Amino acid sequence: MPSETFSSPTSIPPVATAQSALPEARRRVGMWWLLAAQVLFVLAVAVAGYATGALGETITLHTTPIDPRDLNYGDHLNLSYSISQIPGGLWKGGALPRRKQAVYVVLEPQQDRYEAVAVYSQEPAVPAGQVVLRGWVNDVFRRSMRLRYGFEKYYVPAEVGRKLKPKQLLRVQVSIAPWGQARIKQVDILPSPKQAKAPL
Amino acid sequence: MSRKLLETDGAEWVKKGIISAEQQAQLLDLYPPEKPTIGLLPLLGSLLIALSALSVVAASWQNLPELVRLGLLLGSLAGSYVAAEYFLRRQYESLGLGLVGLGLILFGASIILTSQMYQLIGYDLTGLLAWAVVGILLTWLYSSRFLFLLTVIIGGIVQGYNTGQLGVFSYFTAALTAGGLGYYWWRRPDAVLGGVLATGLLWQTALLINHLHVKITWFFVPAMLIYTAGDWQTDRPAARALQGPPLVAAFLFTLGLALFGEADAYTDRLRPPLLAYLAALGAVLALSLWGKKLRGRLSGATDWLLLLPGFYLPGGLPLTVGTVVVLYAYSGSVLARAHQEQNQDRVTLGTVLFVLTTAVAYFKLTWGFMDKSLFFLLGGILLFGLSLLLRRRAAQTFKNVG
Repeated sequence: MPSETFSSPTSIPPVATAQSALPEARRRVGMWWLLAAQVLFVLAVAVAGYATGALGETITLHTTPIDPRDLNYGDHLNLSYSISQIPGGLWKGGALPRRKQAVYVVLEPQQDRYEAVAVYSQEPAVPAGQVVLRGWVNDVFRRSMRLRYGFEKYYVPAEVGRKLKPKQLLRVQVSIAPWGQARIKQVDILPSPKQAKAPL
Repeated sequence: MSRKLLETDGAEWVKKGIISAEQQAQLLDLYPPEKPTIGLLPLLGSLLIALSALSVVAASWQNLPELVRLGLLLGSLAGSYVAAEYFLRRQYESLGLGLVGLGLILFGASIILTSQMYQLIGYDLTGLLAWAVVGILLTWLYSSRFLFLLTVIIGGIVQGYNTGQLGVFSYFTAALTAGGLGYYWWRRPDAVLGGVLATGLLWQTALLINHLHVKITWFFVPAMLIYTAGDWQTDRPAARALQGPPLVAAFLFTLGLALFGEADAYTDRLRPPLLAYLAALGAVLALSLWGKKLRGRLSGATDWLLLLPGFYLPGGLPLTVGTVVVLYAYSGSVLARAHQEQNQDRVTLGTVLFVLTTAVAYFKLTWGFMDKSLFFLLGGILLFGLSLLLRRRAAQTFKNVG
C-alpha cells in the first residue's frame, strides 16, 4: 500500500478514503438487496393498484363541470365530484371537523350514482347497499365543507382527451378496496344536450 | 498534487537535486495513472440511441399493455444498476456512479408512472418517500458526493410535490433528509456537501413556512438551527460551507428590509408574537454559542448580528437606519475577522458586503432629497473611494504576513 510509506494521515490519496467506507463485497451485497427492494416496491404499487380495481367495490360518481384547459398544463385533469362539497347538516361528529382531519363519508346509491348521506369522524358500520369512503377535510365553511378523497387527479388517455368539451360532466367509476384504498377505474363522458346548443 | 505535474516537473526537480529519482518514482506510485476514460464519441452515440428508444416508448406509452409498461420500467431500472456494478468492478468510478444515479432516477419515474397507470395518486406519500429513502441508502452505500447531491434534489422535489400537489408537508421526509444526509455530512465533513445540504434543507424549510401560513420570519429559527449544526462540527471548512446558505438568507432578508421595509403596510406580516419568537431564536442562539465556545470559535458570534429582529421597529426611517446599522456591523465584523485571520477570500467577501451595504445606505438615505445627477456622481465617488480604501487596507494586511 502506498499510503504506508507516509506517516502523515493527510497524505493518503483520496481514492483510498473513498473505498475504505465499505468493503467491496459488502457494498455489492447491499446493492443487490437495495435493487431487489426497489423492484419489489414498484411491483407492490402495481399490485395495490390492480387489486384495488379487481377486488374493490365499484361505485359511480358524477363530477362537477370540468375544465379541459387543465390538459394544456399536463396530462391530467383536476376533478371535483358532487360529493366533494358536503352540506354541513350531514356531519355526525361532535365538534366541527378541523382542516386536514380524516373523515368517513357514507354513500348511498341514488338513481344512477352514489351520493353522500352522512359524514363521521370514526368509521361507522353501515347496512348493505351503503359504502364508506375515506376523505380529508380541505375547508370548513358555515353551511358546508369541502373534502378531498385522493382521486381528484385523473390521468387522461389521449383518446378521451380529444372528446372533452368545456364544462363537460363526467361519470367516474371508483373502486374501493376492502382495506380502504380507492382509485378511479373508468371515466365516461356524460352526454349534455344543453351545452351542445349553447353558443359559448 | 496531480500525476501530470509530477511527470512534467518531476524531471526538473531531480535535475536540481530537490528529490532523487527513486523519490520521484515513489511519488509517482502514490498517484496511479487513471484508467483510460471511455471515449466521448461512443458515449454520445449511445446517448443518442438511448434517447431515440426513449422517444419511441414515450410516444406509444399509453397504447402499450400494462404488463409491457411495467416490464420496461423494471427492466431499465434493474439494467442500470447491473450496468453500474459492471463498470464499478472495472474501476470506471464516475461512469458507474452515474449509472447508479440513473437507476435512482428511474426508480422515482417507475413509482410515478406505475401510480399513473392505475390512477393511484393522492393518498400516498409513501411512494415518493421510498424514493428519498433509497437515495439516502445509496449515498451511504457508495459514499458518493454525486448521489448525495441527487438525494438532496430528490428530497426537495418530493417535498415540493407534497406541499404543492397534495397539500401536506411530510415532516418525515424533512427529518429523513436532515437525519440521513446530515449524519452522513457529520461523519464525512465536506465543504461542497455542506453547502448543498444546507440549501436543500432551507428549501424544505421555506416550503414548510409557506405551507403553515405563519409569519415568514419564523424561517430563521430552523435556518439558524442548520447554522448551529455547523458550530458543533469540528471540520472548519465544512462547517463554514454549511453556515453559508443560512447566512446568505439572513443577509438578503436584512438587505431587503433596509431597501423596502419603510412601508409599514407589510412589516406586520413579518412580526411573529414577540416573546415566542425571541424565546425560540434565543434557544438556538444559546445552542450556537455553546458550540462556538466548545470549538473555540466565539469570534464567529458576530454572525448573529444579522438575526437582530429589526422588523419589530416601526416602519420608516427608524427601521431603515436600524437595519443599515446592523448591516454595517455585520460586514465590518466580517472584514475585521478576515484581517485578523489574514484570509484573502474572506477579505474579498467582507469588502463586497461592505460596499453593498454602503450602496444601500446611500440609496435609501439620499435618494429623496438630492438631484439625480449629483446623487449618482457622489455615490460613484463614495463607492470608488471606499473600495480603494478597503483594498489598500487588505494589501497592508497581507504585506505584513509576507
